[in-house]
Amino acid sequence: MPIAQDPLSVEVTLPREDVALLTVEGYLDVDTATEFQHHLANQLHHGRRHFLLDLSAVPFMDSSGMNIILRVYQEARELPGSVHIIRPTSAVRRILDLTGVSITVPVSESVEEALARVDGEPGPAGARED
Amino acid sequence: MSISEQPQDPADGKPPGAELAGVSPESPVGRLAATVDRLSREVAQAQAEAEGRALIELAKGILVERLGCGPAQAARQLAELSEQARMTPLEFAVDVINQAARDRMSEVTDAFLAATAAAESEEQAAESAAVRLRAAESGALAADDTQAVADALLEQALRPLGAVAVAIWSAGSDGSLALAGSAGFSPAEALRWRYVPPDVATVARRGLTERDGQWIRSLAETGLPTLGRQRYPEGGRVALPAGTGGRVHGVLEIAWPDPLQLQPPQVVRQVEALAELCAHTLETSTRPLGGAEPRVLPDAAELMDLADGLHDPALVLVPHLDADGNLVDFRIQHVNDRFLDPAGRPRAVVGGALLLQAYPMAAGESELFQRVERVYATGEPFRARRMNLTALVDQVPLSAVADISISRHGNAVLLIWRIEDETARLASLLQHAQRLGRIGGFEENLLTGEITWNGQLFDLYGRPQTDTPVPLEQLPAHAHPDDAVTIGRFLRTLLHRRRPASAAFRLARPDGVTRHIRVVAEPVLDTDGRPLLVRGAYQDISAQHWTEVALAATRDQLAHTEQQAHERNRLTLQLQHAIMPPAQGPLKLDGLQVAVRYRPAETEQLVGGDWYDVVVLPNKLVLLCVGDVAGHGIEAATSMVVLRNALRGLAVTGAGPGQLLSWLNIVAHHLTGAVTATAVCGLYDPARRTLTWARAGHLPPVLVRDRQAAPLPLVKGLLLGAVPEAVYEEAEVQLAADDTLLMYTDGLIERRDRSVEESLAHLLTTVRAAPTPLDQQLDRLLTYSRSDTDDDTCLVGVRLG
Repeated sequence: MPIAQDPLSVEVTLPREDVALLTVEGYLDVDTATEFQHHLANQLHHGRRHFLLDLSAVPFMDSSGMNIILRVYQEARELPGSVHIIRPTSAVRRILDLTGVSITVPVSESVEEALARVDGEPGPAGARED
Repeated sequence: MSISEQPQDPADGKPPGAELAGVSPESPVGRLAATVDRLSREVAQAQAEAEGRALIELAKGILVERLGCGPAQAARQLAELSEQARMTPLEFAVDVINQAARDRMSEVTDAFLAATAAAESEEQAAESAAVRLRAAESGALAADDTQAVADALLEQALRPLGAVAVAIWSAGSDGSLALAGSAGFSPAEALRWRYVPPDVATVARRGLTERDGQWIRSLAETGLPTLGRQRYPEGGRVALPAGTGGRVHGVLEIAWPDPLQLQPPQVVRQVEALAELCAHTLETSTRPLGGAEPRVLPDAAELMDLADGLHDPALVLVPHLDADGNLVDFRIQHVNDRFLDPAGRPRAVVGGALLLQAYPMAAGESELFQRVERVYATGEPFRARRMNLTALVDQVPLSAVADISISRHGNAVLLIWRIEDETARLASLLQHAQRLGRIGGFEENLLTGEITWNGQLFDLYGRPQTDTPVPLEQLPAHAHPDDAVTIGRFLRTLLHRRRPASAAFRLARPDGVTRHIRVVAEPVLDTDGRPLLVRGAYQDISAQHWTEVALAATRDQLAHTEQQAHERNRLTLQLQHAIMPPAQGPLKLDGLQVAVRYRPAETEQLVGGDWYDVVVLPNKLVLLCVGDVAGHGIEAATSMVVLRNALRGLAVTGAGPGQLLSWLNIVAHHLTGAVTATAVCGLYDPARRTLTWARAGHLPPVLVRDRQAAPLPLVKGLLLGAVPEAVYEEAEVQLAADDTLLMYTDGLIERRDRSVEESLAHLLTTVRAAPTPLDQQLDRLLTYSRSDTDDDTCLVGVRLG
């Protein structure tokens, strides 16, 4: 399996105190999802409410990766907070569309755009699904 | 004493001969190579030498008579003298016989010396020294005690080399040294140094431990004590082990008055030859100051008796010399009753063999051979704890850890090893394995009714260790009633047919817990074929059992035998067939052909949550569904069962696919463990030939029409379980005769290095190929699937016609 050579790298920065920007690099799949989840759980624990996921360097994502995003989405919604996906690659974008996740989790083209959405939607992002 | 003429057992010469060039003969590999080489040489020479041997024997006989020595010594001298004369032993034997026919024996030596001197005349520098050496040699051979030898050596060989004194030490088996003879030292000094206890570092002692001896430029530089040090404090010293045939009998120490310069190789060789000469005299002469040591040396036969009385495996080894009298190996003369081969070979195979043949690896890292050789050489016993013993069996090195004891007795070596309490080690290993595997062992004596259980079995049964064990016969009373037949068959096979048997059953424990247990047992028969004992093991397979339930959706890849498969599948097969047959159809429903394929993940751990369902609803619509629960393992599989059954139940309401998926989303959302799943759900109306469908994050169906294949549009629908409430867009497609519709899970197309589009395109190309029966088309799709994720795969095909 080719993924074995591609460890996941997750870089966390804080554009604002309650916003975590996670820049992910590598395959988001069954082998790496747990690591990704730990990063997200850590940020949740530190009180972040909004999660910006820069997926521009994720060439592949499977259902495990998807589930992590959905899980943090559900947790953020309770806070309330939000989850934003930034610049997914076409393969990941396709998966997001296929699974309907892009209906629920907004997709932005830049960090600025995502931050603007965070400002514009203080309430639960899930409200958009209706 | 074992001598070179010892007949060679041809069966011993099995290893193919191979010369290993460029390998140091002292290295383990070198020793191995030498062994192999020697074996092949011996076999080849045995024939050729048969004739010559008679002559050599005759010559030996002459030497025995004239020198008054034993046959072994005669053989050795014959070999040495012929070597020094640069003749083959045979040629030299002929010379000896010719000389003996007319002259006295001394003339043999004279003639030999003359011949040798002539032969070596080219080596100008060495010539005179060679003659001196031979003279010393003849003197030494003629001398009957070591003191005389020392005098002869000093006067005839060593003074010309500038030496002023010589000492010949005899080595005791305890590592002590006794001064056997000396010349050039004052008698008082010699008396003071008559005995050196073991472990006292002296020049001679150093010479004993170093194979090449000690060449000391100046005594003052080493600080080592030795006799005559006061007189020659700055003098050079040489101490060489005096050995023959691999056995060191003592040390030859030579003193110079002044610092000793580096000596030319010829001199080194001469001095080494003198040391060997000393060894011969030491070997035959009694030790002058060895009164403390027993004079009686037990021979190999006595040692064998001793070995048989030991409680540890013991081997009696005797030296094995080559034709030149050099020690090359040891013959395993005897192995005692307790002998246990680390490789598990019978005693008869090891007894009588050569050490390096029986244990070629002894020359390797364990250094066992070197230890034996050293003990034989010096007589100092060797003991070591936890030494690695390696035996080679069918080229496979087997190691064992053993406590070793090696000691020399007379001319034989006793090697004792205590293999680290093997039974204890195995037992502890087994205990460990049993605990890990949750295995309980038992043994039942059928005659006495005595039953033995290990601790683990009491635990399995949920009984205290003090309780009485349950006899096998009463097993049905402790098992689930439904398993009575299985247990009955098991007991019948075991007790009536007296064959090994196994069974899986549910054990009802007194604490109300039900464990899934597998029992394996075998009868132990007496010589008349009557069962004496039954022994076996119980294994708690509960965890395994639930895994197997989760495997319900997979083929049983592990089944090797029908019986095993039967046990393993007793529940899982039923589930599997109830839920999803691996291949079904084609099914004919109202002008609709339906075929399904299910391919499990290649590795068990990846057992997934893929499902499909095809069912005719009460309203005559046909429910077609394919789904995939995220993740793998038990959780995914059980969620799959829930979702699949829920959808079936919900579909009976007559609701449309969008509504069905909305409800299913609620079910998924409320499943424990935050399950998400994807699904595509369609309702086919046979009357209108339409398919109404919706999808929840799943790949849309592919429609194959007129050899064109295309996916249906990506209608909106979030995967199941992500949010509490979700809505699903519906779409309708009008189907025509011969249309084929494919619904599948992503295991069919998913590849890490391709986008979904590319993978889909490949699928469409495969589908587009010549129209075939539906069954074949599905098989084809599975066969040519390029997926690389090792995921499970579901494929449903429907065709109108």
